Amino acid sequence: MLVMRRRAGESILIGEDIEIQIIHIGESRIKIGITAPKSIPVTMKEVKLVAQENLAAAQLRSVAALRNLLDRLSEGPAGGEK
Amino acid sequence: MVFPDGIPAFEQETRFLALRQPINEPLVFLQSVANPNLCFATLPALSACPGYQLNMAPEDLDALGLGTGRQPSIGRDVLCLAILSFEENAPPTANLQAPIVVNVHTLRGRQAIQTDSPYSYREVLPLREAACS
Repeated sequence: MLVMRRRAGESILIGEDIEIQIIHIGESRIKIGITAPKSIPVTMKEVKLVAQENLAAAQLRSVAALRNLLDRLSEGPAGGEK
Repeated sequence: MVFPDGIPAFEQETRFLALRQPINEPLVFLQSVANPNLCFATLPALSACPGYQLNMAPEDLDALGLGTGRQPSIGRDVLCLAILSFEENAPPTANLQAPIVVNVHTLRGRQAIQTDSPYSYREVLPLREAACS
């Protein structure tokens, strides 16, 4: 992995078309501006992880699995205690 | 309910129904209007985890037309559902880190990915032991 040191206001170029600018450095997070062609999707990595979770959750599941879950959920809609 | 951006992996699915049946309480099924084959089993976040608290990003609050000054109240401001996953040979899990959040006043919804969250994408549900057969 390439590691660079940058200050707020400075930028990084990736190829000809992509620019990543450090806009603000806060205590625990930084604000980044990204300029890229429309053809390149830019998302948080978490979006991809959630997409994988959603795809797995959308798989067909058996009625038996749901029934089993319902039987084992604690009583009451706001339950949770044994 | 309208999801203007869909949800990750299903960006084209912008309209969902929340289906509840007394026999399946407390489950809520999220059924896509456009795709009859797409249906998520979900649990209200508070059913999956009593005391559950949201920690939504300002962008998500903004997208739902909620004020960014405070977290919305589950029930009063928003419906909050955790998508369930069923994998073979594993306990069912709930995605409490990225819940489905719907503004109850506008019925506009979105999957809120919470980066600062004590919960995971695969939170194991608190279940009783399976009944002996």
